This record gives sequence, structure tokens and C-alpha cells, in this order.
Amino acid sequence: MIDKTKALKSLETGSANTWCPGCPNFQILAGFKSAMASELEKGKEDFALVTGIGCHGKVYDYVNLVGINTLHGRVLPTCLGLKIGNPNLKIFGFSGDGDAYSEGISHLIHMARYNSDIKYFVHNNQVFSLTVGQPTPTTEKGFKDKTTPFGVKNPPLNPIKLMLASGATFVARIFADVKQVEWITKEALKHKGFSFIEIIQPCIIFHPDIGYKEKTYMLDEAGHDKSSFMQAWKKAEEFDYNEVEKIPLGIFYQTSRQTFEEGFPQLKELMKKKKAWKDIKR
Amino acid sequence: MRLNIVIGGKAGQGPNVLAEILSKVLVNQGYYVFDSRSYQSLIRGGHNFNHLTISDDQTRSNDFKIDIIVAIDENTVNVHSKELKKEGIILNSKHNNMYFAGRLFKLLCLDFKLLEQELGKLNKKMIKENLANAKEGYTEEKRQYCQLLKKDKTSKGFMNGSEGVSEGSIKSGLDIFYSYPMTPATPVLVELAQNQDKCNYLVLELENELAIINAAIGSAMTGAKSMIGTSGGGFDLMTEALSLTGIAEIPMVLYLAQRPGPATGLPTYTAQGDLNMARHAGHGEFTRMLLAPGDPIECQELTSQSFYFSQKFKIPVILISDKHLAESFYTITENPKIIQSEKSTSLKRYNSYEKGRNGSATDVPEVINKNIDDRNKKTAEIEKDSMIFDRYKIFGKKNSKNVILSWGSTKGAVLDSIKDIDCKFIQILYIEPFPKEIEKEIKKEDNIILIENNSTGQLAGVLAEKTGIFIDKKNKILRYDGRPFFADELKKEIQRRLK
Repeated sequence: MIDKTKALKSLETGSANTWCPGCPNFQILAGFKSAMASELEKGKEDFALVTGIGCHGKVYDYVNLVGINTLHGRVLPTCLGLKIGNPNLKIFGFSGDGDAYSEGISHLIHMARYNSDIKYFVHNNQVFSLTVGQPTPTTEKGFKDKTTPFGVKNPPLNPIKLMLASGATFVARIFADVKQVEWITKEALKHKGFSFIEIIQPCIIFHPDIGYKEKTYMLDEAGHDKSSFMQAWKKAEEFDYNEVEKIPLGIFYQTSRQTFEEGFPQLKELMKKKKAWKDIKR
Repeated sequence: MRLNIVIGGKAGQGPNVLAEILSKVLVNQGYYVFDSRSYQSLIRGGHNFNHLTISDDQTRSNDFKIDIIVAIDENTVNVHSKELKKEGIILNSKHNNMYFAGRLFKLLCLDFKLLEQELGKLNKKMIKENLANAKEGYTEEKRQYCQLLKKDKTSKGFMNGSEGVSEGSIKSGLDIFYSYPMTPATPVLVELAQNQDKCNYLVLELENELAIINAAIGSAMTGAKSMIGTSGGGFDLMTEALSLTGIAEIPMVLYLAQRPGPATGLPTYTAQGDLNMARHAGHGEFTRMLLAPGDPIECQELTSQSFYFSQKFKIPVILISDKHLAESFYTITENPKIIQSEKSTSLKRYNSYEKGRNGSATDVPEVINKNIDDRNKKTAEIEKDSMIFDRYKIFGKKNSKNVILSWGSTKGAVLDSIKDIDCKFIQILYIEPFPKEIEKEIKKEDNIILIENNSTGQLAGVLAEKTGIFIDKKNKILRYDGRPFFADELKKEIQRRLK
């Protein structure tokens, strides 16, 4: 058995944490590290981490895994490139709602279509926080800040529906809570294919919890059949990111089909031989 | 002796197929051929043509004045008759491309069997019909042009710049090539995609240029030799990530095949308008290299040098070509010098931020200064290391006071136009790092003539910046209508400026 305290220690980077005191990001970080600590006996070198730009991006500063804190919106193509470079890696991508749904939206749609075996977490606080409070594609109507004196006019995007429509094979939503993050990380690791996980993560400064947490409920406890696309779609419609009545959490949909890397003989060969391109001598 | 043939028709009528068959047979027979292609941005119809220059001596360009027009459609005559020499001939009758192949083979005294062999390699279902058409043309044509050309026994190949880049990258140990289709970079994508199984590398098309370069960065981080291909517009989209390769020290080869801009410009024509863009693209300060091959052999050599430098110094290297070089076929008589390179990177903690020793973001002034100073040191090291390669080449009369300066695909037309002119031609292959030592090759009193396929003379700007040497405005021979230089026209332009 792996010593969890030691494993957790090996994930430390020593960098001082600069999130606001009380930020739900701490819950996400702790949950992810806890899940990772129990995975580490498989070898830390099997994992890579990519984060984007925004408060979420600092996950990279606080988790000692190889990878990159990359450009705004480019988490997913970077993850895909890592996977193609070494298809034996287990890859985690972290984005914010700005990163995933604004700057990087095209990549998100295509990644769902490609079904590359990448675990993707989106910290959705429905606001650009690091740039001090502008609206994102999932901000509710009527939201005002210094840059939007007339208020947000457009309806928010529903990322769960977007992912279902785009062909994602694992679509989940959780709340920024240690236990939930730990649980979903393990579930995603068991899934082979693109795993989309949205984390409702209220920003305590620019978009505080307006009664979100108390309106959440767990899909599996409500008898949800995650193999049913139609049920998943119905559940996705329960929360439109605009009016908060009830927020279903858990795995909306899970199915199985060929991954991106399984579609290429060269990559299949690398997976079979447990090798990366770097090991190929010519 | 140079013989110029223009073969024109609508897209879909196959002037290109005819040109390819004729060129390959001629090269095999011992002649030198240069075959350029002109086409419009459409799929069927319009006016496409190939321009073949056949010679008994090396040729790397076409002439404006042509000897034979092969008109698969009537429009070809309208478009090209003003270019026809007085004694030139027009082949036009309502027939398909293979009929004209027959006539051309007869005209050039080529054995019908040679044509028969080539037709056998085409669509099997069409063999009978193609053969009948070719035979008809061969029988009907009575004239002969062959006595004008002498064969040369040197063993030869036939290659365009795209094949040069592709072969160069395979020989350099390419692992993964990423590209989003864009003329005129697409032929490298096609060429590499076709050979990936045989040579065990991978070719991928993703959703857009942003995905292309960022995925290539991800792959390069794992140690894979990664390369991307695009044209100016796609390159623009990639520039933020180009800057990332600078700070994160990611080895990357970027193939940039130019076409005329700004914006969509003239998408199927040629230009050298992106030199400054390639030199300056990307925010912040970081070291890059910019290499400019001038023919398919240099395409192979400079591609291998791009891999060598990108791996050794963990930098982006831009390999700049253009439509004229990428899609024109050249007669090849030499073997390229390929330099091998090790895979230098492995997966560690990279960052798009300035980072500390633990790989996490930092804003500590001392650390930032050290990071930047360390990265900047590469510039001088690369300059020193690059001395072992031909960063520039000199042709013509070494002591002439007429000095011609150019880069990239203009090399062909310049070489063909200066054969009996009193001048020295300096071809710049390394734009970054610029070979400052060419100062020694140019004297103050020299008559410097610039030749570029753009409207502002961008290389002159680089020369002035790096050496303080200025080129007189009237000595800039610039062409910017999307067409390459013709050797016969260029010769007159140069002669007018000689001292």
C-alpha cells in the first residue's frame, strides 16, 4: 500500500498559494490531490497536467506533476498533443469557464468529437475573476460589472448540453467540494475517452454562491440512468445557468466508443509497446 | 537553348497531368526541365496552365516569351498569344490532353513507347481511350523541334519544393507533422500524409491553426520531433503560441509557405511578402531562426538544419518558402547534405509564465532576469554554431562591382538571367541569424541590385538593419502581381541597372 501522506507530500511544489482565503478552489485542489495520491503507486511519470489562464490555472503551481500552465484557451489542444506524443500518459486538463467556453470553445467541441482519453475539469464560476469580474458565456442575464453597464443580455450557454450534443462519452457536473472532486477524479480515470467534468465553483468576490449549493442534488441518488442519452438531456435542462431552481450533480452520461489515439496504427503500436515517440530511434 | 511551352486549359481538363508526363520523360531522357504551375481558386473551369522550360543546360525558371502554346481550350490562346514568339506555334484543336501529349512527344522527337509507358501508370480504366487519343496526336503532328536540344548524361531527378521539405523532414527523423490545409502549404501535408505508414511518423489535421500549433507544442514537450505547416494567414493565427515556444523553450519547426496577402489576397499565386512577419511575429522577446531555401535541394538541407537547430537550442525555427518554390518542379542533379539531430527534450514542468526552479510561475526579479538572460544567450551561440552551414551563397563573378541580392524562390530566375552578365549574386539563406559577414562581400562603391517578389523590398530592410548598407530605390527590382520572375524579362531589368 502506498503511504498517502508521503504521496501527498510528493505532490507539493512549495509555491505559496495566492487564491483568496476561502476560495472554493482550495476544495478542488485538495480533492484532486487526494485522488492523485492514491493513484501515485502507478508512477508519477505516467501523469501530466495542463492548466490554462485564470484563477484555476494556479492548480499547476500547486500540484507537482509534469506538464504546462499554457496559454488562455489552449488547454485541450495541448493535452491532445501530449497524448499523441506519448499515448501512454494519463492527462488532466484544467480550465476555467472563460478558458473553456469563451477563448477555447472550438477545441472543446472538437475534443468531445475526437474522444481522446483526457480528463478535463472546468472550474465554472460564471465570471472572469482574475481580470476582476467581467461576464463569461455562462454568466446569467442581467449581471452587471464596470464593463457591462447595460447588463448581460445574452442567455448563458449550457455546457452540459453542448457536450452531450458534441459526442462526449463522459459528461459530469459536481460542486467544488473535496469529496465530490476526489470521487469524480477516480470515476474519470476509470473511463476510457474524453471525460468532461464541470465544477460549480462560486467566486467569493465576483460571483458568490447565490443559493447554489442548497439546490444541488446527486443524480445517482435520484435514480438517474447515465447510459440514457435522453435522460441525460432532460437532466441537463434542469439548470440553465440563469435561474437557479435545482442543480443536478454527478455523471449525466457515460458511453463508450473508439478513442482518438486508437484510430491511428502508429499510436496503437506505441500503446502496445508502452513507448513514446521520443523512444523511437531512426 | 531554352524551349518554352505553355500548356493551358480549364481546371479538370488536366493540363497539369500532361505537363507532368512530358516533364518526367524529358528529364529521364537527359534534358533539363523547369515546370511551374498557375491555377485559380476554383475546382472546375477557369484557366489553369503549366509553363515548361526545357533546356540542354540547368534551368530553374521560365521565360516570358514562349515557343509553343498547347491550348486544350480556346481561352488558352486568348490569354497567352501575346507571349508567343513570332516563329512560335499554337497547338489547338478540340481534343483532350492526351491527344496533345501525342503531338508534343512527336514535336520533341520522343519515342511513342515512352508515352505509352507513362499512360500505363495512369487510371487503368482510361488506358485504351488515352492511348488512342495519344496515338492520334502523335500521327497527326508532322513537325520536329528536337534538333535544337542536346541531351546531357548526368543522372537527374525531378522534384518540387514541397517534396524537398517533406523528404528533408523524413530524413531528419520527423515524428509528428500537424497541419490545417492552406494553399500553398498543403502539398507538404499531402506528401507527408501519403508516406506516413511506410516511414513511421504521424500526420494529423486538427480543427484550426490554434489547435495545430498548440498540439504540436504538447507533442514536442514529450520529446517528439514536431513540425507544423501553414501559409501566412494560418501563421498569423499561430503567433501567440509561437511566443510560447520562445518562453517555454520548445523545439519546433514551422514551415511557412507564402502566398500574396494581406488577408486572403491572391490565394493561389506567389509572393515573398511575409519575411518581416516571420522575423517579428509573436509578442515579447525571444530567439528564433528564419531559414529561406531557394530550390528543392536547399529545401531538404534547410529542413534538416531547422530540426538540428530547433532541437539543439530548444527554439522555434521558421522555414520560409512560397508558392513558386513549393509547387514548381526542378531538375535535380545533386544529393542534399542532411544533418542529423538528437531528440533533446523530455516531459518536465514547462510554463507559459516566467517560472521558478519548481516549474511554477514566479515574479521574483532576480529569477526573471536570469531566465531572460539565459534564453537570450542562445542568439550568440546559434550565430556561432550556424557558421558551419551555408548561410549565404555567392554565384557569378566574385569581383564584379554589380552585386545582386535576393532570397528564396527568386534564386532560380536570377541564376538563369545572369549567365552571361557581369555581376556577383549573393543569395541569403539565413535571414535569422543574418550573415553579417556579407559586409565583406559588398564594397561601398558597389552597385547593389535587389530582387524580391514583394512591393517594398523587405530584404533591403533587413540588410540596412543588420549592416547599415542601403539599397537605392531605383535598384530594387520588385514584382508583386502574384507571378514569379521570368528569366528573360529579369535579365533586361538587371542589364538596365548594371554599371
